[in-house]
Amino acid sequence: MPLTSIDDKVVRVDAEAKARGEARYIADYSFPDMLYAYMVRSSVPRGRILDIHLPQLPEGYYFISAKDIPENGRNELWMIGKDWRCFADGDVKYVGETIGLLVGPDRNILSYLLDNTKIDYEEEIPAVTIDDALSLKGGVIYGEDNVLCSLYCEKGRPMKDVFDEADSVFTETLETGFQEHVHLDTNGAIVTEEDGKYVFYVSAQCPFYVRKSVAGLLGLNYDDIIIRQVTTGGAFGGKEHFPDVLCGPLLVAESIIHKPIKLIFERKEDMLYSVKRHPSKTIFRTALDKDGNIMGIEGTIYYNCGAYLSASYVVLQRGVFHANGVYDFPATYLKGVGVATNTFPSDAFRGFGAPQTLFAIETHLDHIARKFGFDPAEYKSRYFLKKGGETVTNGHIVEEVKLPEMFKQIADASDYFRKSAEYGIGSGKGIGVSFYNHGGAFTGNGEQAIIKAHARLVKTGERVRIEVGSTEMGQGFQTALRKIAANALGIDIEDVDYPNPDTSLVPDSGPTAASRSTMIVGKIVEECAKEMKERWAEGDFSVEKEYEHPEGHPWDQSTFRGDAYLGYGWGAAIVEVEVDRITNEVKTVGIWTSHDIGHAIDALIVHGQVNGGVIQSLGYASMEKMENRNGHFRQESMSDYVIPTSMDFPKQEWLLVDNPYEWGPQGAKGMGELVFNGADAAYVDAVERALGITVTKIPIPGEDIEEALENV
Amino acid sequence: MAVANYIPETLDEALLLRKAEGAIPLAGGTDIMVQNKRGIGLDPILDRPVMIIAGLKELKGITLHEDGSVEIGALTTAGEIASSLVVPWHVRMAASGMGAVALRNSATIGGNIGNASPKGDLPQPLILLDAEVVLISFGGERRMLLDDFIKGSKKTDLRSDELIKSVIIPPHDFTYSYYRKIGMRKANAISKLSLSAAAVVKDGLVVDFRASSGAAGPKVIRSREAESMIIRRSIEDIPEIVPDFLDAWDRAISPHAMPKYRRNTTARMLTRFLEAIVNEEDHGIIE
Repeated sequence: MPLTSIDDKVVRVDAEAKARGEARYIADYSFPDMLYAYMVRSSVPRGRILDIHLPQLPEGYYFISAKDIPENGRNELWMIGKDWRCFADGDVKYVGETIGLLVGPDRNILSYLLDNTKIDYEEEIPAVTIDDALSLKGGVIYGEDNVLCSLYCEKGRPMKDVFDEADSVFTETLETGFQEHVHLDTNGAIVTEEDGKYVFYVSAQCPFYVRKSVAGLLGLNYDDIIIRQVTTGGAFGGKEHFPDVLCGPLLVAESIIHKPIKLIFERKEDMLYSVKRHPSKTIFRTALDKDGNIMGIEGTIYYNCGAYLSASYVVLQRGVFHANGVYDFPATYLKGVGVATNTFPSDAFRGFGAPQTLFAIETHLDHIARKFGFDPAEYKSRYFLKKGGETVTNGHIVEEVKLPEMFKQIADASDYFRKSAEYGIGSGKGIGVSFYNHGGAFTGNGEQAIIKAHARLVKTGERVRIEVGSTEMGQGFQTALRKIAANALGIDIEDVDYPNPDTSLVPDSGPTAASRSTMIVGKIVEECAKEMKERWAEGDFSVEKEYEHPEGHPWDQSTFRGDAYLGYGWGAAIVEVEVDRITNEVKTVGIWTSHDIGHAIDALIVHGQVNGGVIQSLGYASMEKMENRNGHFRQESMSDYVIPTSMDFPKQEWLLVDNPYEWGPQGAKGMGELVFNGADAAYVDAVERALGITVTKIPIPGEDIEEALENV
Repeated sequence: MAVANYIPETLDEALLLRKAEGAIPLAGGTDIMVQNKRGIGLDPILDRPVMIIAGLKELKGITLHEDGSVEIGALTTAGEIASSLVVPWHVRMAASGMGAVALRNSATIGGNIGNASPKGDLPQPLILLDAEVVLISFGGERRMLLDDFIKGSKKTDLRSDELIKSVIIPPHDFTYSYYRKIGMRKANAISKLSLSAAAVVKDGLVVDFRASSGAAGPKVIRSREAESMIIRRSIEDIPEIVPDFLDAWDRAISPHAMPKYRRNTTARMLTRFLEAIVNEEDHGIIE
């Protein structure tokens, strides 16, 4: 029997079915007597609902809204908070808020009914931007000051003392925009009933999240609901909590109609009426001595959370904890503020709050370095965190930090120092650099205190089935996990099964998020596999294990002190560009990255993740512009919100350093988000150097470069 | 509200359907399908029947006439135009930059003209080249300048009984040629702005000069007023004319979104092209 070794490159287990078009996505599913649902949504960003005028509904057609939630149920979707309403009731807080569902058998008739449903509003003035929210434009949305969540952390001497001693203070405001996930498979779900239980088929990252979120609508127990994840064509965080927003109304409808009901978003709906990456505004005040050395940094970080909290508090925490990047500054004070606005709630997106502050700190340091005449790479490398170094939460780095070696790899490959000197500033050519990290798994002791993940292996004859709630969404986890199990069991990957999860059949291994799947769930599966191997002769049996928290990671969630993460992935990127001085078109001529992801589980999957993450980050920096005017998103299709093609970023050289992680399966750490976290800042650095401009806001399409050139 | 749809097998059948019912011609479908898309499982709502004319041989193909003019049948695809050896350079450049490969293999020149989007790729160089459009109906054929045929954004002079038969591009022999399309990304993008320019220079005299701006107003912009400032002028005189010429061009265009970027970039592209003329750079394509 051929064995599967962890260092073999394997063809992805899902590749063939997807390439042949045989994989079934949610849109492909159909059931007998299935009805369709259309969402009736708010068309105004803020106001009171005065009246809902429905056309005459033919027999067999329904309008489901807040009034249909039973007395023992609550109109709330339980994400991290419970503030997101299943149906708007009385008022609306953002454009696209669910008011009701139109349900019936014929989509042409439903479309007619939707077009002829009129809602009267008493409109109010919306707050759309962070500044709108802070100035309480239109009155408060939340609490007394529109602050949905906030936190701070500090390290070293008080910043007041540091500022008193500083020779100069460099103050800068850096901003990032909305970003849309653009998963090819739009959001969709089907609800039905089987054997007295509600069953959902859904394109989702976290089946157990959906169950938890919707059960309270009808006052149900978790066991009354079954979530079956169907093959999911991309998610990027957009299907972490957002499937709740489809499944909640569907559950209420099902409790009344009792037939299968399908709700699928069109691309336009997915663009206009789904969660986005949090826009951010970071104000850094950096204390410098006369030679340009950093004495301390004070940062105030605002995230635009939209109308509801969803996952924002956790996103903001990650933003704050990454706001000093990969650096060990003597003193820092970082404050994060999540504000409520009348935009679609912002939510998880690959990087989960870290990319915004990493862009900010990297770009800020570039500007300081340039001001004092240092090469940014050389300047930044003075402050690299090292093993034992103190983090912004007074925790310590427990692993070897290989950034110097990683930088040398890409500096040599790109000929960085020659080009940096030769191109200089304003020559039309530029080379830029960035460094970044990503804390693995849930923040703090979340894995231990909140998730308590379980995983199970089931042996039947010579085959082994993996039972976890973790999902394949295109990232390659079904391949990685089967490989981890096969390697530990000493069997072939072909003899390991890992079907899409069904919450009634598998233990809860936690959400497929936070780059935790390989690192955390993979480790539990590996431990199960080791035991199963020893007992292999016992016949058919199963092994289930719970997550074990490694010793020596103190964390206090009430004060945000200690080891915010169990370990970090590390990255370094260099991007080289040429800018056409006539058209401001940026041509990216080279991309070099090096990543420390512990030990790679599969080189092909890693390659795919690096290429995809880096290009998505470069799109974020360069062209992915999502504007919101008066509460309405302006981009509604894939032709006006563009993501990069292979023509835009044609060539990447990717390198790894091997740095096995003590508590990961086969030494692996998380990597799905890390690879998104830094190329944007390297691109911006390169464009700034090529044109001699200063960029403080991304994205920077040609028209924004035009503006920046006028300010030179 | 279902309406009948047709697949005519001959041009006569198609013209009959045009005359009798004003049937909407569908060639590649890359505009009509997108514009009338209502959602998964929903029928489009159209007030007239659609006829699929993609199979009409009479409207296909590229012909080089004896007088040097090139005639392109309305159903010729962007892909065919891009790889043709006889189609003028400006038009081939525009065709090769349309959408993605799959779109280029479906989208036709007739559709791109009939759709009359100011961001359409092909009208811009065709108008630069004084191309004419041939329209056909049972009443016969008529010919007119494409620049006159396209009346504004999404507006043409096409009668309800007519079809676009072909486009005829008169011969030319430019000393210098220029073409740029700027999209939101490097491929598969709608034009943010575009510019074609061409000049004939003989013995230090600019004999012909023209330019056309795409995505810069309700239709492709050619300013004869601005062009005439350069024509029949000696190349030594051009530097001092450039500011007035750029002003005139700037007045002619009316970009709606991103006005500053579009205006400034257009001015820089025209400046670059004029600079090549003044500097007597090697004849051919200017980059």
